[in-house]
Parts: sequence; structure tokens; C-alpha cells
Amino acid sequence: MTQHAEPAVDTPPAPGPKEADGRTSQRPLVFKLLARPEVGVFLGAAAVYVFFLIAAPPVRDGSSMATVLYQSSTIGIMALPVALLMIGGEFDLSSGVAVITSALTASMLSYQLTMNVWVGVIVALLVSLAVGAFNGWMVVKTGLPSFLVTLGTFLILQGVNLAVTKLVTTNVATDDISNMDGFGQAKKIFASSFDIGGVQVKITVFYWLVFAAIATWILLRTKYGNWIFAVGGNKDSARAVGVPVTFTKISLFMLVGFGAWFVGMHQLFTFNTVQSGEGVGQELIYIAAAVIGGCLLTGGYGSAIGPVFGAFMFGMVNQGIVFAGWNPDWFKAFLGVMLLGAVLINLWVRQSATRR
Amino acid sequence: MTSMNKAGTHGEIIQDTVPEEGAKDAPIVELRNAGKSYGNIRALHGVDLQVFPGQVTCVLGDNGAGKSTLIKIISGLHQHTEGEFLVDGVPVRFSTPREALDKGIATVYQDLATVPLMPVWRNFFLGSEMTKGPWPVRRLDIDRMKKTADHELREMGIILDDLEQPIGTLSGGQRQCVAIARAVYFGARVLILDEPTAALGVKQSGVVLKYVAAARERGLGVIFITHNPHHAYMVGDHFSVLRLGTMELSASRAEVSLEELTNHMAGGTELAALKHELSQVRGVDVDELPEAKDLGAPVATASEGKS
Amino acid sequence: MDRSTHHRSRRIVPVVAVAAAAALTLAGCSSSSGGKKSEEGGSGASAGKATTPRMTVALVTHQSPGDTFWDIVRKGAEAAAAKDNIKLIYSADPNAGNQANLVQNAIDQKVDGIAITLAKPDAMKDVVKKATAAKIPVVGLNSGVSDWQKLGLMEFFGQDETVAGEAFGKKLNELGAKHTVCVVQEQGNVGLTQRCNGLKETFSGKTDVLYVNGTDMPSVKSTITAKLKTDSSIDYVATLGAPFALTAAQSVTDAGSKAKVATFDLNKDLTTAISKGTIQFAVDQQPYLQGYLAIDSLWLYKNNGNYMGGGEQPVLTGPAFVDKSNVEAVAAFAAKGTR
Repeated sequence: MTQHAEPAVDTPPAPGPKEADGRTSQRPLVFKLLARPEVGVFLGAAAVYVFFLIAAPPVRDGSSMATVLYQSSTIGIMALPVALLMIGGEFDLSSGVAVITSALTASMLSYQLTMNVWVGVIVALLVSLAVGAFNGWMVVKTGLPSFLVTLGTFLILQGVNLAVTKLVTTNVATDDISNMDGFGQAKKIFASSFDIGGVQVKITVFYWLVFAAIATWILLRTKYGNWIFAVGGNKDSARAVGVPVTFTKISLFMLVGFGAWFVGMHQLFTFNTVQSGEGVGQELIYIAAAVIGGCLLTGGYGSAIGPVFGAFMFGMVNQGIVFAGWNPDWFKAFLGVMLLGAVLINLWVRQSATRR
Repeated sequence: MTSMNKAGTHGEIIQDTVPEEGAKDAPIVELRNAGKSYGNIRALHGVDLQVFPGQVTCVLGDNGAGKSTLIKIISGLHQHTEGEFLVDGVPVRFSTPREALDKGIATVYQDLATVPLMPVWRNFFLGSEMTKGPWPVRRLDIDRMKKTADHELREMGIILDDLEQPIGTLSGGQRQCVAIARAVYFGARVLILDEPTAALGVKQSGVVLKYVAAARERGLGVIFITHNPHHAYMVGDHFSVLRLGTMELSASRAEVSLEELTNHMAGGTELAALKHELSQVRGVDVDELPEAKDLGAPVATASEGKS
Repeated sequence: MDRSTHHRSRRIVPVVAVAAAAALTLAGCSSSSGGKKSEEGGSGASAGKATTPRMTVALVTHQSPGDTFWDIVRKGAEAAAAKDNIKLIYSADPNAGNQANLVQNAIDQKVDGIAITLAKPDAMKDVVKKATAAKIPVVGLNSGVSDWQKLGLMEFFGQDETVAGEAFGKKLNELGAKHTVCVVQEQGNVGLTQRCNGLKETFSGKTDVLYVNGTDMPSVKSTITAKLKTDSSIDYVATLGAPFALTAAQSVTDAGSKAKVATFDLNKDLTTAISKGTIQFAVDQQPYLQGYLAIDSLWLYKNNGNYMGGGEQPVLTGPAFVDKSNVEAVAAFAAKGTR
């Protein structure tokens, strides 16, 4: 019994004046700006754009830009939820074929039952959300890596797409639904184009930018956005402080389902029919756009604006090579080199910005 | 601050106190003969623990003694399988950490206190964000959150240059302190600290202990989990030592010295028994080892504890 | 248990109500035009069935999943199998190594005949030898017109892709085209490359090659649009698969180009487009016939010792041109997915 004194430490520290603790010096504003996840990809995209502006004269034309933006938008609309999911710490490898699943559902349901196409559109939405919910539920409940779970869904959907289409239509593509009730209306919403200064711009470009703005707002300005960062950054900490981890993850997967539905509807109402074997490999392009856009593969870091530039960069390179009239045999190689270059710029910018 | 409870709560008649009257004397959180089995493995059994406002209850124990299981029960991550768990005298069974938080029980984990890549202020409010505006456009009230975080951190004596910096860039001690400040701000009545000093250096540990004391001064009940008796003795009012899933010691500050506490931690009664065996082996110096009689503090003998 | 059923039945009531309401709503949503109901219920060709002993034949192709073309090949093979009292085992893998394994699988099953495609002849060499050693007759179809004899195949049914390309080029000359772009949906595919090369060979104007990503239709569309915008002198787009022709027609509109579209291969929607004039013509290699003849030839060989093409010459199933003048005759069959 040697020490019976009061506890040694008992005074709460007094609030001090506002002063730096001497560990961190204020970084210049420009570096702070460069440390944002989307700045690197913005510079990369700008570099690619300027490059093709010089190398491929047709790119300077407004309508060419509309073509580039159209392709970027079909990738970009899916890249957004895929990016949010990645920030939330998960992958979805089934997103590419899920687009086709959605389009097939809407097309076959409307055609086979001779329903107004809107019935098919609504049911397709439910199916897409259900696929997302299933992915999310499996990932959360089993604790398996989402890479594995969604690889399973990817294969399942790929098989189901083909088998069900074959079973229902006896062909591997769906029937033309362009003369059915509601088609014109749906086409206006999902696949029309509008005039800006004499240039026909596809409506998907507009949706792409609107969705990106909404996603950015959600990510940075709402509770839900905070939760997305938290479940991706440290799931267990998030759970411990009361973040609904299960809800957040499942809803993120369902958001990917929503994106797949939207892009699926665009494809259906643009091409009237759907080939059941399509969509394979697209999931990697969505993920690539998100990663180029500054999202960390490990989760917890990224933005919604970054993938917009990521998708643009992809579309720009893809179409720019055609506009530039380069030898098409080298197409894939050019694409790879440009993407790698863009990613390196991105990396370099981020490193030099965060270096102390 | 004097001890307000007797050592070894077993057998004691506990009155059903209403929290309002004599809040100082009634425990906020109480475990009675509580235990937890995972399948046929018994991680914890026969544990009695009381947490009073304005007191630091230290739970000591070696690795695998059942400390983490104990915290998980109180914080709502796991459910107890035997005995009783009472909050304000009412038996409870939490199924999520959220429920524990709603009762004012906040836990600061050693390794998962924060989300490293998120800014300090977002971490501070994570899970309990301030919002403004009607539903479709309900958004984070960022200004208010930053201001509040800054103010609260200053109250606890934590001064940061930039609340926008990722919390991962702070030192381990600073991160623990932010987590503690956060729990205090969100109206925690009981603060569970899971080995807050385990991964820290001497100076940083001191900083954390300072905030533990600060939290106590604010009237919080603190459960301080550690395996360092020196740290425990710096701030503790009551000490419980866990061993192989049962309570080996439960004593107030007045009843136990640092030496005894250290001995209990180091193996206590088992070492004394070992000493007898070792003394028959030549070449082993047993003089420095404690005798059983030196372990003067009352030893909690849980009903099934010594089987 | 009583209570639980009671509970359940109470829960069922709203479900039934919702389902009923949904059915009513759906009924109100039925389409007054198009759809399945407007489709004529034509029955397929149901020929008589042979009374020869049951035999098993394997058809192993390099189809990638969900390809309309191969679906038609398979339908032809199935029709022949049904008629000839044959059990048909169909399998496919675009990877040559995997395809060879599938052939080995058929040999292991001791089938009575094997029909294979020779997209990558070298990969199939060994396994064909094994089949011959096991005294299983092997016939080729679709790809490999220049290799089937070297490999020791009995017969071959298909189209010489180079010949088809050359015919395509000649047709373009007749139509007075000056500048065409050949759209390749799969870079590195031998057959597709041969088509483009054959076209280049005979076409008197300028030929560009354009590679597109065949699994992503929006990308195909915008890439063709970009190409047309780059060069306004392009007056013909030649696609190498039916779905891409329909997409190319949209690209032409988008780009405001005057180019016309023609294609290799055929499908249901394409016949409609040809009769409407959005697509000028299609070169058909009659995939149904390829599948049908391959299986039928094995039956003939087994039961009567016949060799189609005399065992020396390939049996050519194309190129057959489909344009506005003869599209009506073809359309009905294409609608059933057999031509």
C-alpha cells in the first residue's frame, strides 16, 4: 500500500490560443488544389484534348465534339455509380452485363406480352435494382470480397442473358420493339438528341453531367456521402461510430443497378433490339474510368467529378484516334499508351501536390 | 475523489435505484455475473463490473484475458450469453453499437477510432452529422460542424492547424484524443477506451491520460482498458483485473497499491504457486517473486470462477 | 401452427390485392401495335424423320456467346439432326485451345461424327489426328476453307471469306462506289480480316479499315460517326456483321453523311432494313446451310458412304447476295431466325 494519493493526472488542459502546433506548415493554395482527387485527371484530360485538337483537325468541329461526348457519356453514366461504389470500398464486375440484362428484360417483357414499353422499362428497373441489392446483400452478409461475389453475378448474368433470350425469342437477339406503344415517348427520354448552336447533342450527355453534379453534391454535402467515404475508408470504425454500413453498401450496389438500367434503356431505345452477348468487358472500362478519375482501388478516396474526366479521356482517345486517321491496326496500342500516359500525369500531379 | 463502492460486488445487495435520485451513487453501467460464450468456447464468465459517473474504472488483463469481449458486450457489438447487463439499473441487450450510443455509451477503439483518409472534422461528426434544410435538399451544415469541432477540440486542449487535413496525418495520440473529444461532445456518459495507450510512446501516452482525466472531470464514467498497470494507476479510481475470462481482482484505489496491481497483472496468484515449484529447482532465484500473502487486496471469487 | 397459417393468410391478402391491381394495370398497358401478338405464328419446316439407327454427332465451333450468326448455324444443325435421327452435341469456345479440348471431349464420348470450325487450324491439327485415329469422321464448316484438306478433314461446308470479300468489292464497283470503310468488330479475327482484304483486292476505289469494340454498341456507333465526319468522301460503309450494319445506318444519319451501308451476313431486322432501303445489300453465307449440311453429310457418310463435294472440293454456301430485288423471298425465313 504505497500509493494512495489522488490520481496523478487530473487537470483538464486549458484551451489554448489559436496557433499552429509546429508540425505542419501551411501548404500553398495551389498545392492544396492539386491534391484534390479530380485535378490530376482534369489535367490529363485537358492534355489529351489539346493533343487531338492539334493532331486531328476534325476534332475542332463542334459536331465531332458531340460524338466524343456521346461515347464519353455512355461510359460516364455508369462510371459514376461504379466510382461511388469504389469509394465505398467495393467493386462490381457485373455492371457491364447488367446493362444488357436490363435492356433485355425491358425489351422481351414488352414484346412477348405485347405491353406498352413502359411496363418493360419499369420492370427492368426493378430487376436491375434487385440484382444490385443481391450483390450488396451477398457482400455484406458473407463478408466475401466483392470481387468474387460480383464475378459470380457477372457469370450468372452472362449466362442468364443468353439462355433466357434464346428460350424466349428462340434467337440470341431480341425483337424490334420500335413500333410498339410508348416507344416514341421512351425514346425521347432515353435516347433523343437536342440542338445546341446547330450541333446535335445526344441527351445522354446532358444526363451524364446532371448525374455527375448530383453525385458530387451527395458525396460532399450529405450524410450519405460522408457514410460512403467512411465505409470505404474504414468499415469497422464507421460501424463503431454508428454509420449504417449495411445500408450504405447495399444502396451503393443498387445505385450501380440504377445506372445499368439507365444505360440499358438508352441502348434499347437507340438500337431497338439488344444482342444478348454484349456488355462483356465493359465493367473494366467503367472501373478504369473511375480509377483514372482518381478513385482509390482500395476505397475511401475519390470524387464524382474525376470519373467524368476519366470517361471523357477514354472517349476522347477512342474517337480522337479515328479523327486523326492513324493506322487502325495500332488502335488498341495507341489507346493503351494514351491511357497510361494520362494516368502517369495524374499520379505525378498527386504526388507532387501531397509531398511535404 | 474517494472510492464509493466496495470491492467485490458479488453477494452485495444492490438496490434498485432510479437514475435521477443520487445519480452519483448509482452505477450507470453494471454487469452482474455476466459472461459470453462463442459456441462452446467460454470467453468470459462471472464478471461483475460497475461504472460510476466521474470515475475511471480500469480493466486490466493480459492478452486473451477477455478484455475485448467485455468491451464488445458493453458497446453493443456482441451480446452477453449469461448474467445481467444493466444500464441505469434497467437490464438491456444491445444489438448494434448505435443502441449503446443512444444510451450514452461511447467506445473509442485503439485501432479503429477513425477513418484515416477523411478530414478531421468529418471524422469528428461521422455517424452523427449536423444537417440543415428540408429533406430532398437536406445537406451537411459544414460551417457549423467545423466551428463546433474546432471549439470542442480546443476545450479538450487539442489544437490543430487545419481541420481539413486527413485524420491519418495526425499522430496516434492525437487521433485518440480527437476520438475522445468526439465521444465527450456527443453526450457520452460512459466512455470506453480500448487500450488507448498501447501503441503510443511515453509522451503521447501522457497526452491521452490527460484527456482521460479531463473526461472524468466532466463527470463521465470511464472504462479504461489497458494492460499497463502504471497507466491505469495514474488515472484509475477502481481496478478490475481479468484473467482467463474471469474477474481476478476488483478493488478501489484505496484498497490496492501499484505494486499489488502490478503483481496481479504479472500473473499474481499463479506466479506465487509457480514460485513454490521453482524454489525446488536449483539455480532459479525466487526471492524477488511475490508470496501469496503479499497479494493483500481482496480477490474477487466469482461463483464458478475457480473451477 | 394454426396461428402461423392464420398470420400468413392475413399477410397474403394485401399481396394478392397488389398482384391483382398490378395485373389490371398491366392489362391497361398493353401495346396496340407491334409486339408478339402481331407476329405471325408460322411453324418451322417439319420434315419427316429418318428411320436409320440413332447416332451421335458433335458440333464444335468457335462461337462467342450470344452471336446471332452462330445461333443460325446451330439451328441448321439441329434441323438436320432432328430429321436424321441424330443426337446432336453442341459446344463452342472462342479460345482455340479450349475448342480443341471440346473436340477431345467429343472423341472421349466416342461420337459417330464430328463437325468443327477451323478458325485457328494449327490449334486443331493434333486433335483432328486423334479423331481420325479413333476412326471418327470429321467434317469442317464455316472457317478454314484453305486448310481443311491439309488437316485431313473429309468435307468442308462454308464460304471462302476472301472470295466473299472479292464479290463484295465487285458489287461495290457495279454500284459506282468511290470510297468505302470496312468496319471490323473484332481486331485480329482471321475471317474478318480476309473479308476486308478480299474487298480491297477487287474494289477499284479507296478502302479504309476501321476497328470498333463489338461488345459496346454505343461505342461502335460513335466510332463510325467519328470516321464519317473525318472524311466526307466516304460513300459506302461495309460492316462485317448484321447488327453492326443497323448501327452503322444510325451513324450515317448522325454524321449527316451521304454514305450508304452494306454488310456481310444477315438477320431478321436487316431484311426489314433492306426492304426499307436503309441498307443496300447483304452478302449471305447461309449459316443455316453450313450447319445443316455438316450434320447431314455425316449422316450420309455413315449410312450411304457419300462424300459431298466429292471429297476434293469444298461445298460453298456463299456468297449469296440479298438486296431489295430478292429480300422478300428471304425475309420470312430470316424472321424465324433461320436465314
